[in-house]
Amino acid sequence: MASAAPAWAEEARQAAGQALQALPGLTGREEDWRFTPPEDLALAGPEPGPAAAPVDAPVPAPGHRSARLAFADGAAGRAEAAGLPEGVVVADLGDALSSHEALVRERLYALAGFEDRPGALNAAGWESGTFVYVPRGVEVELPVEAVLSATGARGRVFGRTLVVVEEGAKATVIDRFTSPALASAVHASSVAELFVAEGGELEHVSFVDWGAGMRHHAVVRAAAGKDAKVRSVVVTLGGDVVRVEPTLYVRGSGADARALGLYFAAGDQHFEHRVVSRHEAPQAYSNLLYKGAIQDAAHTVFFGNLVVPPGAPGTDAYQTNRNLVLNEGARADTIPFLEIETAEVKCSHAGAVGRVDDEQVFYLQARGVPEREAKQLIVYGFFQEVLDQIGFAELREELDAAVARKVR
Amino acid sequence: MADPILQIKGLEVAVEDTPILKGVDLTVPQGEVHALMGPNGSGKSTLAYALAGHPRYEITAGEVLFAGQDLAEMEADERARAGLFLAMQYPVEVPGVSVMNFLRTAVNAARGEEVPVREFAKLFREASKQLEFDPSFADRYLNEGFSGGEKKRHEILQMALLKPRFAILDETDSGLDIDALRIVSEGVNHLRGPGLGVLIITHYTRILRYIKPDVVHVMYEGRIAKTGGPELAEHLEEKGYVEFGSAEAALAPR
Repeated sequence: MASAAPAWAEEARQAAGQALQALPGLTGREEDWRFTPPEDLALAGPEPGPAAAPVDAPVPAPGHRSARLAFADGAAGRAEAAGLPEGVVVADLGDALSSHEALVRERLYALAGFEDRPGALNAAGWESGTFVYVPRGVEVELPVEAVLSATGARGRVFGRTLVVVEEGAKATVIDRFTSPALASAVHASSVAELFVAEGGELEHVSFVDWGAGMRHHAVVRAAAGKDAKVRSVVVTLGGDVVRVEPTLYVRGSGADARALGLYFAAGDQHFEHRVVSRHEAPQAYSNLLYKGAIQDAAHTVFFGNLVVPPGAPGTDAYQTNRNLVLNEGARADTIPFLEIETAEVKCSHAGAVGRVDDEQVFYLQARGVPEREAKQLIVYGFFQEVLDQIGFAELREELDAAVARKVR
Repeated sequence: MADPILQIKGLEVAVEDTPILKGVDLTVPQGEVHALMGPNGSGKSTLAYALAGHPRYEITAGEVLFAGQDLAEMEADERARAGLFLAMQYPVEVPGVSVMNFLRTAVNAARGEEVPVREFAKLFREASKQLEFDPSFADRYLNEGFSGGEKKRHEILQMALLKPRFAILDETDSGLDIDALRIVSEGVNHLRGPGLGVLIITHYTRILRYIKPDVVHVMYEGRIAKTGGPELAEHLEEKGYVEFGSAEAALAPR
């Protein structure tokens, strides 16, 4: 963080630290923590030791961006911006505490505070992060991309993102998480708070592409105002243990909020996604769509919940999770949930786990395509339904490459 | 004389331990068109799937040589790349995989190298025109939402693009109206010749009025019961399979 953080920010940090001390420790027996042992994510507090042999941070991905931020081991590094429209801010969140104090203070911790251990841990520990502000009516055409990388020099890295899209404004923001393969465990904690005002549009991509050894707890919370369009995209490919918790707060009528997810777990990777849509206004739409492939001895968990408290009639909410299991021994759990307390809503939920269809593999093989390539095509095709809803087109190539790399 | 493209000797095939083929002998010389007829359940489609290498169809005895190579030793994709093509009775849907992506992947696999995009586009355009296959289907997902006729046209389109040496058409005529049957048959006739042998599997004689076979075989209860010239098909049209013990008298499609 910049040297002279304002007093309120320091107070918040201290309060988060106190919360971390005061909150009961997670045991793994909590309902929310049945599937991913909390100790795997080192949520207790003290920084774990560094990795056995630190390595260089990876180079950023190619592609045209309106701005790039880089955080090596959680510390702000290089920042580049090319022709951002007037009034748009892309800055290190640590600096923005002072340089854009009013904008940040109003919203930081408003969606993700320190009421639970992972939240308190992040709030107490983050040093640098991503701040994106898009003023009213302004459209940022190219994506803003922030890369949090880990080298193993530190046992835990923090990421923190705050995105504010004002009325009628439009942006795409990518949070990429990356590291080389590490010789021993390194932990990451990240929180993203996304605010989209009336008629605004935001696509936020969490691209979890860590190397071996990484364990990551990620929180993404997005608030959609009246007639706003919000896409939270989570792509989880890399890391030993990854738990991502995206929540959509649907706060205005006419909002269209989507939580889209793609994951491919192989080896002994363990991914858990806990995805929630909370309808706090009537006449709004949300859709949770997560699809995953699971191979080798990997294990994935999807928990989804549509929450419609009283006072949200006309809610239109859907939830789907589908899993493609590539071999025996790979496992997927899916728990679609509903909490509906308003009458006159349209809600549906579905969860499914299926094997790769041998008839599809045979059909492709009978056209000369080798078995491995046939499975790659089938997995890629399986993801297409989600990709079709994502604006950020480069994701297709990245996913195609990842599928080609991972399918055995 | 060159090796026959297909030489089947004493072939026995089981599906989940149930014997279906009980000693099939069948030889197709390179470039000839043979018809394989027979009542439902006689083992015609089992032979097709066994030849193409479907893992559920287990060869328990006998031998199949394809251009001199032992098919039993080859995976389904190796058989395809060696020039064997199966036009399926029920083409499989693969959601999310576009027809264009699929066709390019298949043609690249058959050739063992990347076909330049422009060359591929030209091949696709020409074959689509010949088979009256709507080229806008290129962006559709593989067989998803295709009508029965569109699926069959798409099978023959694949055959045109992959240029096999030998094609098995498994009940390609089923579910086709007369116009679609004519178009598909013209497509096959356009491709047949010294470089392409064909085995037409059918229950009915209708398709054989469009694609004239050199030889007709009748399969009954897992064996070849009779082999003859084109006149055998006409005979079956009149008499059905009764003489082989089948209750099916009439051969006209419903």
